[in-house]
Amino acid sequence: MADTFPFPKRTPVRVTFGIAMLLLGVFGFVPAVGVLVASLTDLRGLPGLPINFIGIQNYIDFFSPAKWADSANALTNTIIFAFASTVIQIVVALAIAVLLNRKLKGRNFYRAVVFMPTILGVTVTGLVWSLIFNVSGGPAASVLSLFGAHSAFFGDPHLALALVILVQVWMVLGVSVIIFLSGLQAVPEDLQEAAEIDGASAWQRFRNVTVPLLAPSITANVLLGIVNALQSYQLIYVLSGPNNRSTQVLSLLVYVQGFGGASGTTLSQSQGYAAAVSMVQFVLVGIVSIIALIILRRREAKL
Amino acid sequence: MTTTTRERPVTTSAPVTNLTRGRRTRRIPIGAYICAFILLVVFLFPLLYLLNTALKSQAEFVADPVGIVSDPHWSNFATAWNKGNFGAYILNSVLYTAAGAALGTVMTLLLAFPVARGYIRGAKFWSVIFVLVLFLPNALITQFQLLLRLGLYDTQLGYILLVGVGVGVGPLLLSGFVKSIPRELDEAAAMDGVGYWRYLFGFIFPLARPALVTVFILQAVWIWNEIILATVLLADPTKFPVTVGLYAFKGTYGNQWPLLAAATFIVAAPLIVGYIFIQRYLVNGVVGAIKG
Repeated sequence: MADTFPFPKRTPVRVTFGIAMLLLGVFGFVPAVGVLVASLTDLRGLPGLPINFIGIQNYIDFFSPAKWADSANALTNTIIFAFASTVIQIVVALAIAVLLNRKLKGRNFYRAVVFMPTILGVTVTGLVWSLIFNVSGGPAASVLSLFGAHSAFFGDPHLALALVILVQVWMVLGVSVIIFLSGLQAVPEDLQEAAEIDGASAWQRFRNVTVPLLAPSITANVLLGIVNALQSYQLIYVLSGPNNRSTQVLSLLVYVQGFGGASGTTLSQSQGYAAAVSMVQFVLVGIVSIIALIILRRREAKL
Repeated sequence: MTTTTRERPVTTSAPVTNLTRGRRTRRIPIGAYICAFILLVVFLFPLLYLLNTALKSQAEFVADPVGIVSDPHWSNFATAWNKGNFGAYILNSVLYTAAGAALGTVMTLLLAFPVARGYIRGAKFWSVIFVLVLFLPNALITQFQLLLRLGLYDTQLGYILLVGVGVGVGPLLLSGFVKSIPRELDEAAAMDGVGYWRYLFGFIFPLARPALVTVFILQAVWIWNEIILATVLLADPTKFPVTVGLYAFKGTYGNQWPLLAAATFIVAAPLIVGYIFIQRYLVNGVVGAIKG
């Protein structure tokens, strides 16, 4: 470390760095660490009520029979949502990236269009797709009625989660495509052509040349996708509301328990309990990302 | 942790030196164009359908929701704008986005430069902190409690502070970029008697502009689209950002799709127009952030 400091005084560095770090500490790290503390109390939404330290009672409650139905439901939904949306997102994004890496006319336009939903954000995306899946005569319903079928879409408990996953994939696909495209730049063309001359089919070239060289991009995409998906709930909030059981994920449970005052759930507005749910989610995200990282790194090494 | 922000442009032309390439006759890849067309339909149809719905009268929508509009009702936009009070919401969103992203970007500069240069003690420790901010738990509850206890609940300042400190990948991205600025420049400037602050804002700020613009845009897009924190931290409807305003509009006019579609379009249109301008920063920024 070359710690030679060229400027006459160190004070200005310390002052501005200190102010910025203080802001980050107070408004960023204090709430984050506070979640752990709050999860050990019976903190309530309203100010002025006494706060008692109750140890790990909130965690015991989360796994207790009385709450387990809600907890298990949210846990299952979270895992299905994260797993399915990540896998679909990776596969589809890889296909699109390979397509858009070819020298097609207007490919920059296609890329821009695929990335656009990231900008539109959850509220616009959510409303647009609510309109598409409008029960009374929306485009999706019209297509179904051609086959004489109909569906309640987000109102159908068996279908709602699948639809939410579909919209999530549509919304975040662009980011994965861009990451894959930048990874594809690193795949040398002559390697592809050498394989072609050796008689490798298009699929073999994809499988044995492109995919191994894309391994770092795949790792980045899987990790990013799964961590995002495990924590995402804004889209679900807009699409099917916070209280729809069939699409309730852990983050929404935090929201509903902490602020919702929802009917049907016990102990509503218990923020201590909500903080405990946050911690459960945090641990889940940690475990899943570490496992994913180990598996992917091992695969990368093998390829 | 090295981050490269100066990415190669996504479109690199293939090396022409390759002999086999020149000899092969290229046929037009029809299959690829069909796939690209399907892609465009999947991503553009929802927006075109939104616009189509926004132009219908309520009667026409009820009679035929999917048909192409026959008699465009442009007045839907004015009605939605007035009923939904979107002017005020958009102003709020502009304020939150500009102030929050500016705060985050300045913080990023103040934090990342001295750490990247080792001008602050414990630079290693601080760069670990920069990674750690990416993996914090969902702190909705305590963010609310913090503002409540500081007397900042339901204030614009409180919301701006909370979204502003959401610097995300910013410090990592910028410290990667700072390493590409030669250290000799610091020394030369210091020799000429330029102080640290003047150097940071007068020299590094313009030099690191591409990275700072990316940091700003990434955070701005996030703040503009944020809805849950705003729902939790703001109670007074006059302070709502446009996301919450649009969601509230859906609650009131949920059964009048043409009006709701017009409102959604009002929110989406500036985003689409803005996107055309900021596209290249965003795409490069995402790539840079990932490589970090």
